[in-house]
Parts: sequence; C-alpha cells; structure tokens
Amino acid sequence: MTFTNYSALKYTLKQTLVFLSWVPVLYVINEHVAFVGVVEGLSMKPTLNPESNGAKLDHVVLWKWNCKSIQNLNVNDVVFLRSPINPETVYVKRIKAKQGDLVVPRYPDTRSRVLVPVNHLWVEGDNIHSIDSNTYGPISSGLIIGKAVYIIWPWTRIGPIPTGGRECRESRLSERGG
Amino acid sequence: MSAAFKFAKEGGRVVSYAVRAVAFLHLFSMNVYEFSSTSGDSMLPTLQVSNDYAIVDKRYKYGRNVKIGDVIVARKPNAPESWVCKRITGMAGDIILIDPSKGTLTGLDDDDWSEMKEIKTREEIEHSDNYNNYVIVPEGHCWVTGDNLTDSVDSRTYSVLPMGLISGKITHAWYIPHLWPIGDQYLRELENGYKPEHPTERNQGR
Repeated sequence: MTFTNYSALKYTLKQTLVFLSWVPVLYVINEHVAFVGVVEGLSMKPTLNPESNGAKLDHVVLWKWNCKSIQNLNVNDVVFLRSPINPETVYVKRIKAKQGDLVVPRYPDTRSRVLVPVNHLWVEGDNIHSIDSNTYGPISSGLIIGKAVYIIWPWTRIGPIPTGGRECRESRLSERGG
Repeated sequence: MSAAFKFAKEGGRVVSYAVRAVAFLHLFSMNVYEFSSTSGDSMLPTLQVSNDYAIVDKRYKYGRNVKIGDVIVARKPNAPESWVCKRITGMAGDIILIDPSKGTLTGLDDDDWSEMKEIKTREEIEHSDNYNNYVIVPEGHCWVTGDNLTDSVDSRTYSVLPMGLISGKITHAWYIPHLWPIGDQYLRELENGYKPEHPTERNQGR
C-alpha cells in the first residue's frame, strides 16, 4: 500500500518542482517581452473601453521589449506608464509629442507653449477628461511600462488599436494653417 | 545516431537549467536584493570612485517607504538607460532652494534640453538666475542630489525625480579594491544622512 502512494507522491512533487522552476522564466518574459495589459478607467474613451459602464474592460497585448528607449516610441502610440503622481498606479495614454517638440497644451496647463525635454514624452488621453501631461507636464521615457499593440479581449473588439486624440505639436498645427 | 541524439538531449537539458537559473537570479535581483558595482565621484564621501559595490534593497522600488536622507538608485530622467545613485534631499511638498552657490547658469549649450520650463528666448535664459530659485517638489516626486555637490549631475540639472524611476535603496556598500579578498576591503552600512536643523523636525527624518 505505502509503496504506490510513495511513488505517486514523489512524481507529483517532482512535477510541481519542475513547474515552479519555470515560474521565473515566465516572470522575465512578462516583465521584459510581452504581457496582457488591462485597461481601466475612461481616459482613453472612445479608443479603449468605449462602454462607459466599465463592465467590459479592454485587454491589450502589451509589448515591453526595449520600450523605455525613445527610439522605439512614436507619436500616436498608446502606452502604459507608471504615474508620475503616484508610482503605484499605471496610466494608459497616447504619446502626442516627443523630445524637442513644441506643444500647445490645453486646459489645466496655462502655459502658451511647452518644450518637451530630451528623453521625455508628452502624453494625453483620447478623452478630454483625462489626467495627463497637461496636468503633470512631460514625462520621462523611463516611466513607460509597455506599448499597447493589439486589442485581444472582448472578442468583438479584436483588432489593432484605433487612432484618436488631437494634434498638439505646434509645427504640425501651423502646417495645417491652424 | 543515437550518440548524437543523446548529446543533443543532454545539451538541451543544460541550456534549460541555465535559462531557469538566470531567470531566477534576475527575479531575485529585480525584487529582493541586488549587488552591483558603483562608479563615479558624485557620491564621494559616501561611496568610492571605483571598486565600490552597492547592496540595493529592492523592496524600496518605486520609492516605497523611502525617507529624506536615504541613498537610492534610480533611472536618470533625461537618460533612462543609465542609472544614478543619489541621496534624497527633498520629498513631495518640500520647498527647495536649487543651488545659489552655482550663480548664474552657464554652459547652456550643453544642457538647456534638460530644463523643464516654458520656452524662453536665448537672451532671457542667459540673463536669468536659474539656480538661485525655489522649486516646490510635486506629489509623487523627490529631490535628489549627490553628496559631492561640486561634481554631481542631479536634480539641480534635471529637476525633480519621479518616484517611479527609483529601483531601490542602498542599504550597504562594500569596498573591494582587489579581486582577491585581502585586507583592504570593508563593508559598511549606509546611514540616513538627514540632520534636522530645527528641534521640532527631529522626529521626521528617521
């Protein structure tokens, strides 16, 4: 009797240990390559979380590989970033200008023009009711956690991230004559 | 054939073990403790110019429970791929006098990008006294300076540091001048450097 139990236990224990030994590998992939990001809140409405009741949260593929370097971040990318106001929370915003751009800010920011410093980004939510760079100014690209590349859930919304937001770079605004 | 197969299987096994071991070490060094070398003279009386190794407590990641006077490791806001190690000399809500000893700002051609402010004409920048100014540290940020103020690129240049860039707090430093452990090496605990000037502040620092 004890013989069979003993070998079964040994087998289970071994399999558990093998599984546990792969957990750090999963962690490294999730932390540095890609992960699933859940969008909470309404600051990216209507691009993400278009339904206001919050019952269906959008899930996106969050590409993390080399995402802190400014060369891999482009204007109109949707990014997850660590909040500069409270480092424990994560914001989802759209990059609207990069280093060296002159930005025309909107409401909470009263300045006429803002210059985005080196390795910094200007981020805004697609929803006008959003706490973004107009409140806390340009953010360092070191705060970026990952780039949202594809909506994978809910299944009716599977597809690439739609475009959205306004143009705020002064150089582009003057090109269009506005 | 079977020998080659056996060889490939053994090789795969070794690679698999190596991947898991490296991943585990990475997880540990990201979240628990990290042992890394420091260099540079910006923290000079506290940390040596070279051959000094820092023991970084990662439980203080993102500035969790850090206090004024702690030595922290953080990404540089204007160059996120490089890491700096500085002492926190101001927390959110503090009013900081940047550095009156620097006088007027010179050498603007090198670092005017790093100034976070409204765009001004070059003439206005050259005639303003940028270092002799006060800054209120915003919520979620801190003010960091090197202990060697004369040779340190810190918050006086790149302004306030977001707490989200902090990766940990240096609790111990270990000076190892030779690879062979003989004589000269010493391990010491880094103390909180905050000395309150006013008696009523005395309980806030530690």
